[in-house]
This record gives sequence, C-alpha cells and structure tokens, in this order.
Amino acid sequence: MESQTTVLTRVDGSADLVHGETRAIVSVSGPIEPKARQELPAAAALEVIVRADVGVADTREKLLENKLRSVLSQTILTTSYPRQLIQIVAQVLESGEDERYTCKEAASIINGSYLALIDAGVALQCSFAAESFAIAQDGEVITNPTPLDLRQSKSSHVVCYSIRDAKVDSLLFSDSIGSFTETQLYSVLARGTESVEAHHRHFRSTIEAKISKDFVWKLQ
Amino acid sequence: MAKGIETSANEKAFIIDALTQGVRTDGRKLDEYRDVKISLGSQYGSVDVTMGETRVLCRISSEIVAPYEDRPFEGLFTVSTEISPMASPMFEQGRQSDDELLITRTVEKAVRRSNALDLESLCIIAGAKCWSIRADVHLLNYDGGFIDASCIAVMTALQHYKKQDITVSGEQVLVHDFSERSPVGLSILHVPICVTFAFFNPHGVEQNIKGDAKEIYVVDPNMQEELLKHGILTVTINKNREVCQVSKAGGLPMDALTLMECSHKAFTIAEKLTNDIKKLIEEDDLQRKGSQWKMLSASNDR
Amino acid sequence: MSIIIPGDSVQVANSVALGPGVVCTRNRSVIPVTAGILEENSKSIHVESNGRRYVPSTNDYVIGTVTGSFGDAFRVSLSDFTFPVSLSAMAFPNASKKNRPNLKVGSLVYARVSSAIPEIDVEIECLDPTTGKDGGFGLLEGGYVFDVSLAYARTLLFNPNYPLLNQLVKKCQFEIAIGLNGKIWIKTDDLKHTLAAANAIKQCQLVPSSECSNVINSAFKSLSQ
Repeated sequence: MESQTTVLTRVDGSADLVHGETRAIVSVSGPIEPKARQELPAAAALEVIVRADVGVADTREKLLENKLRSVLSQTILTTSYPRQLIQIVAQVLESGEDERYTCKEAASIINGSYLALIDAGVALQCSFAAESFAIAQDGEVITNPTPLDLRQSKSSHVVCYSIRDAKVDSLLFSDSIGSFTETQLYSVLARGTESVEAHHRHFRSTIEAKISKDFVWKLQ
Repeated sequence: MAKGIETSANEKAFIIDALTQGVRTDGRKLDEYRDVKISLGSQYGSVDVTMGETRVLCRISSEIVAPYEDRPFEGLFTVSTEISPMASPMFEQGRQSDDELLITRTVEKAVRRSNALDLESLCIIAGAKCWSIRADVHLLNYDGGFIDASCIAVMTALQHYKKQDITVSGEQVLVHDFSERSPVGLSILHVPICVTFAFFNPHGVEQNIKGDAKEIYVVDPNMQEELLKHGILTVTINKNREVCQVSKAGGLPMDALTLMECSHKAFTIAEKLTNDIKKLIEEDDLQRKGSQWKMLSASNDR
Repeated sequence: MSIIIPGDSVQVANSVALGPGVVCTRNRSVIPVTAGILEENSKSIHVESNGRRYVPSTNDYVIGTVTGSFGDAFRVSLSDFTFPVSLSAMAFPNASKKNRPNLKVGSLVYARVSSAIPEIDVEIECLDPTTGKDGGFGLLEGGYVFDVSLAYARTLLFNPNYPLLNQLVKKCQFEIAIGLNGKIWIKTDDLKHTLAAANAIKQCQLVPSSECSNVINSAFKSLSQ
C-alpha cells in the first residue's frame, strides 16, 4: 500500500491512496458553511460524494457513498461543529475490480477518507482502517483480492474496524456479497483484524511524515 | 462568479497594479505559460496533467455500441468534464454553474467539434456496430486554466489510448484480448491545444469602450487572475496553424490586432506542447514495446 | 516531540485545561481528536496541529474581508466558504450612532474575535476592550493579503525567536498584520518589495528556520531582475 497526504491545495485535507490494483484520491473540506437544506442545529452535516473512474455516477456510486457515510458518521465527532458542513469527495482513479463488485473501492475510499480527515484536522473519535476480502471456491480467504480472484470467488467482503492504541477496538462496518457460511465470515473478520492493524501502522508512518513536513519550519 | 471566495479590494488593487508594472503574483512574465507536467498511467489512456497547482486527470474507455441512426458510418465520442467540490469547494456537486458550463463546452468544442478524433474509423459494421470512445476528465485541483489543462489531458490520453483489436466476419465481431493480439491506437487527425488569455482594464471597463484603455492581457491566468479578469479569450489552435475555435467571454470589445497577436502567441505554445506530447507518447510506446519483446523472447527460447 | 493521533490514549492529571485537539468524552476520559504534536504541562494539554481551515476562537486576532452590511453590523468573511462573522458598527473606538465607521464591501479589517460560540454567529471587534482604544485594530489600507497555514501564522505572531521577520526587515521596511485565520497582510513602499516579502513568507513555510535568510535573498533577487 502507498499513501500520501496533502496532495491537493484547494481543499483542507486530501490523500492519495494506492492499494493493490485500486487507486483513489479523497478530499475533505470543513468545517464550512452548509447549504440551508443540509444544516443541522446541533451537529455537523456530512456531504459524501463518490465519483467513478469511468462513466457517470449511478446507483453503484450512491451505494458506495452510503457505505462510506456509515463509517464516517460513527467516527467523525460531528457535535464539535454544530451547523457546519464537512464535505468528503472520493474520486476513484483506478477501480481495480469489475463493475459488479465494490469491495476494493469501498476499502480504499474508507482508508483514503481517514487520511484526508486527519490531514484536514477534522475531529475524530478514533482511528479506523478497512480491508477487502474474497472467499474462493475452495473456501480459502484471500486478502485484498485481485480482479481475477474476485471473478472466481464465491463471496466478497469488506470490513472496517476502529482502532485504539494501535489495536483493533470494535467493528465499524462489514459488508458481504455472495454466499458464505457463518464460520467463513468469522474467519474473514478475524483475518481483518490483522491486516487492519498492519494498515494502521502504515497510516501512522504516513501521518508522522505529514506532521514533520507541516512543522518543518518549527524551531528545534 | 465563484461562490464563497471573497477577494478583498486591497488584493484586487494590488494585483492590477502589479500587472501594469508587468509583474504577476506567481512570478511569471505576462506572456508566460505555466510548465505543463504530463505523466502517463500504467493503463492505456490514463493521463495526469499538472499546470502550476491545477491538476487534471483523464481516462479513456471504449465499448462497442450501435451508432446513431442518422450517422451510420460514424462512431461515438463523448467528453465528460463534471467538476466536483474536490477541485475547490466553490464548485457545487450536481449543479453546474455558468463557469463550469463554459469550461465543459469549450473543451467539448475544442476536441470533438474540431474533429480531432476520426469518428469514421470507429465504425465496425455500418449502421449496426461501432466503437464508442469516452473521455472522463477528472478535475482534481483548481488554479485556473481548466480549459487548457483538460484539453491537453484529453488529447494526450487519446493519443496514448489503445483499444482491443477486432475481427469482423459477416455480422459477427470478435474482440481480441490484449494478450491475443496487440492493441490498436485511435486515429487522431490533429492535436488542438487551447490557450487562454485574461484581459484586464486597469482604468475600468468604461475606458475600454471608449477605446483608450491601456488594456493588459496575460497568458494562462491562475485562479486569482481568473477571478479578477474583465474578459477572457480562449484560442484553440493546432500545429498546422489552423485556428479551431475562438471563444471570448466577458463582453469586452476587442481589437482585431490583439486577437492576431494572441493567436500567434497561442501557436508558439501549441507547437511546443504538441511536440512535447508526441515525444512523451513515443517514449512510452518504446518502453512498452521493450517489455513486450522480452516476453516474446522468453517464449522463443524454448 | 511526541506525535499523537486519534485513538491513542493520553494520561492527564485531575484538573487540567483542555486545549484544541483534545476532548472529554461522556465517560470522563480525555481523548485526542486530531493528529499532531502533544503539548502538555501541569495546567493544560493540547494537540498542536497545522491545519488550513480556521475555526474561530475567542481572543484570536484575525484579518477579515467585509462582504456586506446588515442593520448596525458588517458581515465579514474570515476564510473562504465559511459562515460570515459579524462586526458591529459599535465595536470601533469612539463609535456612536452618528459616528459610523465607513467600511465598504471588499475592505480589509484587522480585528479580535470577541465571541465564538459554535451554535451562534461569531462576533469580532476592532478595539482593545481593556482601553477602548484602537489597539492596532481597524481598517487595513493598501498592501497585499495572502494565505499561510494556521500553525505558521501562530508562530509568526507569537514566537519572537522565529527569525523570519527580523531578517526580512533588513531587506525592506514593511507594515504587517498577522491574522490567526491564516491570513497575512503586508505593505511596503514598493510593490515589488511587497511581492518579494509575501513570497518569502510563503516559501519559508516549506523550509527549516535556518534557511529563512536564503529564501528571503532569493525571493528579492528574482524580483530585482
């Protein structure tokens, strides 16, 4: 996985994330002034936009928006910004999967959003990270499957955990498509904790690099 | 006008004052085009263009569809330039502002209406099947010059793109995978390049109408200049000195001589850019061929 | 320097003041909510981070652009795309119903945030509340305004040891106003000097403080050509 923050200048926070075949860029602006219909009296409104790499946005992008929103509404401390708007735009640059799957893109935009939110300095209750999985015909669990793995798989999954003190804390989001057994899902969830913690270690080094770059002018 | 961005009177006066002295806030000369960085992606037809802080990405995709009934011998070509708030929060999602519409239309006219892509070569079976080529332009960061950057991105991506080879037997069309047959490029007739000029009337627009304004124009305005401009002109030209489009907005009257001067400047820029793009594509081609040869020789060794 | 990110745990003494970047949760534990450098002492704790989006806070010195007026107050924009704040026409030295300050749309003002409650409109004022005099606040005439990052603006305003301004003054005379909303207004006698100074300040954000003088020199050199 490769990640980089502060890649765009017109927004408050941004991140570019490459994970396997998938690449996404996420931007965050906020807290800014919402449109009148978005405004909430006691919390920040979230505007989540997902854009496809090819073609116009349709139901598939709306579905991804909903998945991303369900993670973000649990992690962003919206009560810190009453009446404000936090705008998250995720642009998929390379989907790395066929159109009927969304797991790889979902994991990438969740991870990208985390870094972009950190870059923007939006208040978060905890850290989080996500990973995609596929279960092959023989029952094997494949972490971050290739497009070919997905095509031959029985089911695809995406899991997102919150992280406290570099350890997995609780399950924020899990989404599965296909046929699988209960034990298989549990093994996916278990495998998820390992890779999510590994991702988090990577993100931490990205964030540390960002902070030292932010304060390069600081007197020692 | 851009919603949400407030430019103070001080800033405005300063920038215009600077322009009359021949200085731009980003340190460029008045007729200096920003450095254009183009990088080609791993996939065919994926291009990343950076001009100053402006960043534009283009992806080309293709599929086989039925042609329009009234144009049975032509393929389809669409350019999509939707601007999301990622480029700047001043762009609203799902609602096109006038500026956005102008950008989209100008790019569309520059590339599609000037026949840069040979549509007839996309025809497979007349009236039944043809290629549909789609260019998705993603505008990532806005610092002026969206038209120029988008046009460069689309034209580079079209030249870089390769589609699957096909065999036609009767009504049957067989699409060959990349591993089966080497992919084929698109037929590009010419490379239009857009160059934008912004006009300023330091003594007010009224002076211009009287005809004694000391008008200043700059090449490739950045965002601040685009917000403060009095008029804007986009010249689309190719390296054969053919002007494909002149688009002028803002309502300022304009001298014919200035237009000529701008077109000449645009030509020098377009010529340089066209050659740069060509060189880049050739280098990329060579690199790809190199890796292909290695694959072939590996199988020949046996 | 200890870097902290959301989800890390912090140990705090019983009674400390919580600054930006840390909040107290419902079950009375203190958690960091932004990524940055943890700064703590016996009285307070906060996370120092370098953002770009300004959130108003009481007593901050800010630079705003007047965008309109309503009733007895002016509408002022502190940063792009955020809610406008209000500047009462009475919040000027010697202001009265008859002696109304003359601010036009597009004017720049240097002001202090007098009230910043998230749920209601933020208010700013152009006078020193302890003396009732202007205290350096008010209309900014001429000059040039540009954006820098928030933590950098704080350092420029509050850290006298940061070498930039002392070195810049060797090159030209200037008048400067630093807004904690990441806006800096600068004015010199010569337009080119203003631009060079502005560019130098912007570029110094990207280099260690030891290289400030090199940046200033090259900024002034490139403009004298």
